[in-house]
Amino acid sequence: MTLTGMKKHVSVLEQAGLVTTEKVGRVRTCKLGLRRLEEEAAWIERHRQLWNARFDALDKIVEQLKRKEKADAQRKRR
Amino acid sequence: MPKEKEGSPAAMNRTAVERKSDRELVVTRTFDAPARIVFEAWSKPELFKRWWIPKSAGMSLVSCDMDIRTGGAYRLVFRHPAFDQPMTFFGTYREVTPHKRLVWTNEESDQGAVTTVTFEERAGKTLVTLHELYPTKAARDEAIAGSAEGLPEQFAQLDELLAGGE
Repeated sequence: MTLTGMKKHVSVLEQAGLVTTEKVGRVRTCKLGLRRLEEEAAWIERHRQLWNARFDALDKIVEQLKRKEKADAQRKRR
Repeated sequence: MPKEKEGSPAAMNRTAVERKSDRELVVTRTFDAPARIVFEAWSKPELFKRWWIPKSAGMSLVSCDMDIRTGGAYRLVFRHPAFDQPMTFFGTYREVTPHKRLVWTNEESDQGAVTTVTFEERAGKTLVTLHELYPTKAARDEAIAGSAEGLPEQFAQLDELLAGGE
């Protein structure tokens, strides 16, 4: 990776608050914003659990509706 | 990683969540049914109330009024054993396009999101994309608070706080 490419990557991470950087003289030191990453992961996981539970229930209802539609169609054909 | 075949059980039944930007949340899932069936389950109150609140949330839906048409209003009233008072969630349908798109507002707080759900049918399956746009980043970060299922978790946290006495 080129230095320019690296700078670009770091600046994206920095904008997202996932790393912090500090420049002293010619040296820029990067630190991982670990806490931020963990919070981010926990937030996503909470939402995933909620929507997954909802959509699992919706899945069951959709299956029921599908079966009912099939049964109705067969009844009509008879 | 090998790409999963479309329609395989592993590719279905998967709920993906993404923080699309500071103010957006996107949830996607594919259902093994045509769009009109999935849409029906969202737009008929008697069906909607059977899945919107997961059992694990320990809440009950006291009433569910949904005037599903563009400009129509909805009102959901929940009860949770930890609370004396019921909680009401309400808003307006900004757009209702049968089998394709639903857009509604969440007006119980001024920090409520605008929710857009699209239904895309492909080869008999339907990709559902739910998109929430919050007025601010802070509102989105606290978003689980705005959804009924987040409340029991918050109650548990409040219990802990109160028990701690600090």
